Amino acid sequence: MSSTTLPGALARPTSAVRRRPARARPAVTAYALLLPSAVFLLGFTYWPVVQVLVGSFSVRGFRIAPHWGLDNYARLFADPHFGNAVLNNLLYAVGTVIPSVVLALGFAVGLRESGRVRMAMRTLVALPMLIPLVAAAALFVFVFLPGGGLLDWYLAKLGVASHNWLGNPSLALGSIIAITVWKNTGYYMLFFLAGLAGVPQEFLDAAKIDGAGPIRRFWHITLPLLGPTLGFVAVIATLNAITQVDHVIVMTQGGPSDATNLLLYYIYQQAHQNYDLGLASAATVVSVAALLALSLASLKTLERGMHYES
Amino acid sequence: MRLLHAATLGAGLALALCYGTAQAATEIDLFFPVPVQGKLASEMTRLVDVFNKEHPDIHATAVYTGSYDDTNLKTHAAIEAGKSPAAVIMSANFVREYVITDEIEPLDPLIAKDGQTPAQFMDQFWPALRLNATDQGHVYGVPFHNSTPLLYYSVDAFKDAGLDPDKPPVTWQDWLDAARKLTKHEGNQTTRWGVMMPGTYDYLGWITSGLAMSNGGQFYNQDYGGEIYYTAPTTIGAVRFIDELVHKARVMPEGVTDANAVTTAFFQGRTGMMVLSTGSLSFVRENMKTPYRTAFMPRKMVNAAPIGGASLILPKGNSPERQAAAWTLMKWLTSPEIAGGWSRFTGYFAPRIAAYDLPEMKSFMTEHPDAKVAVDQLAYARSWFATYNVVGVRKALEDGVQAVLSGRATPEVAMAEAQKQADGLMKPYVDQTALKLPE
Repeated sequence: MSSTTLPGALARPTSAVRRRPARARPAVTAYALLLPSAVFLLGFTYWPVVQVLVGSFSVRGFRIAPHWGLDNYARLFADPHFGNAVLNNLLYAVGTVIPSVVLALGFAVGLRESGRVRMAMRTLVALPMLIPLVAAAALFVFVFLPGGGLLDWYLAKLGVASHNWLGNPSLALGSIIAITVWKNTGYYMLFFLAGLAGVPQEFLDAAKIDGAGPIRRFWHITLPLLGPTLGFVAVIATLNAITQVDHVIVMTQGGPSDATNLLLYYIYQQAHQNYDLGLASAATVVSVAALLALSLASLKTLERGMHYES
Repeated sequence: MRLLHAATLGAGLALALCYGTAQAATEIDLFFPVPVQGKLASEMTRLVDVFNKEHPDIHATAVYTGSYDDTNLKTHAAIEAGKSPAAVIMSANFVREYVITDEIEPLDPLIAKDGQTPAQFMDQFWPALRLNATDQGHVYGVPFHNSTPLLYYSVDAFKDAGLDPDKPPVTWQDWLDAARKLTKHEGNQTTRWGVMMPGTYDYLGWITSGLAMSNGGQFYNQDYGGEIYYTAPTTIGAVRFIDELVHKARVMPEGVTDANAVTTAFFQGRTGMMVLSTGSLSFVRENMKTPYRTAFMPRKMVNAAPIGGASLILPKGNSPERQAAAWTLMKWLTSPEIAGGWSRFTGYFAPRIAAYDLPEMKSFMTEHPDAKVAVDQLAYARSWFATYNVVGVRKALEDGVQAVLSGRATPEVAMAEAQKQADGLMKPYVDQTALKLPE
């Protein structure tokens, strides 16, 4: 999990405005404090971004002089594997973001009250986030073993025939999605729990007195007030759907027959298996642009329906 | 005393002291992969420690670099970063690509210093290994550990199915018949499959090439890295045979099965036969609780099996001192004693012919007839397909065969697509070589 921003920052956008006088300090101190991070950001984030951008327009080949052009992009859009990776990634994003966010919200609402059982349940739901994705994937390879694996062993008790979970192109992406949902739900639940703590109890009590049932209270009070958290989690989940491919590398290497090839893994393959840095750079530029557009669009849409408490 | 000092003064100073005292010792690094199941990494570390003790003027560090593909990737990255490793245990079929991209030192000068010609040097290794280690008469790799696909079968399953464990299948027809007899159903479940083979990347391309070779095929152009024959009748026939095993005879599970699933099924008696690398012999020997035996890969037209495994290479960008030290390490690692010991530990066969003249190797062979079969099959071994962009070219084939395994494409359609993809990947090289006219 790469994010460090907390939903609280999104939930209270007004607090920064209130504190404005405190920021009227000499700019030198501020810049001096920013310098260490700025150096690392420039060196390890912005400079590589520039290099990738430049690299995507540099056309290279075997024993030919590099020249500038759009060939990499032309080849990228003509490559059926890229189209396939985009489609897989869309399926993967929809398949992981919606279920994990809905489940996380459900768990958070169901387990928000204190109590020993609820606390134990919360811990259980949040537990998978403590396991590194690579380790989880390595374990699930054995859970998914056809015939002898844990999953098939239990399914056989229910009379279900064994399945080749990772080796069947129709099932493999679904199996990858299932692990991702299992892994991320607990993490998103924590954000919703934090968000729920900010929903004023008096609103809920007032609605209760007016005779609103639990479902109406959820739809008309809890959910609208959770808007900022929901927006934040949705963006994080979408980012995760594009930036996390550890389990693909461990479990399927994009196979069988390209069925689990996701964008980032496609980029990795072009860069490191085929040494085609031009194609890899072009694919990176296209995916990052799409991701940026998607994040902005989803934030905008969600923001329209957000209700900030002030 | 000095050591005691270093320990108290902390790691940084310790490092400085080490460099100070070991001025004469040449520091070299060895990248090594662990491609098959088993405890290979700790044994390699132990071997390098022994080497360092025997050679005080050299200090070698063994760096574990993952699978064959990962090792290739890390080696390329290190060369590009100007930190070439002194020696790499490289998948034997990647060597050609390093020659094409000019990232590898020819070993001829080092061999000449020892008073040998390249041909004399290569004569010490099994004939089947020579092609993957040389290019146009120059030596680029020293075979370190090698393998071929091998047929493993369970004695109990054979007896249960009314088959004679002393007569393993010899032809594809025998193989299919035996697999049919071994397959057992219970309701809608298959409780025992006739045969299983890994269908994951790297393994599948290797096994498919082996089947195509037994079908009489060349599979690739041994002399030129820009041609591969996926649409040749011999390859189509091999893929049709895989399709037959899965979808018509139904003696092999549908879809892609990885090596762990194959060995687990074999250990649990859920498959009667399996195709696996000879490099897994020790792993199977340690984990299989019931008797098993090994046999040649069944033939269609000829007995054939592709070579697998790895060679030691010397990437470009090393100083003459490091080259000399790396050469000492390479010769030591491939000496009959060390190569023989590594072979007994892993199951890979020893590339040095002389290793099999050692008494401990002779007694090992009589004790372990399963390992002897692997060595006998060497007489029929072929070189491993090697092309420009070989990983992508191999993956194109594997995607096609996986589609066939999953019942999503016919062998003809899948192989036509694979050929198209592979030709696209080799095009930059072909355009600049075979298709380039003299100006």
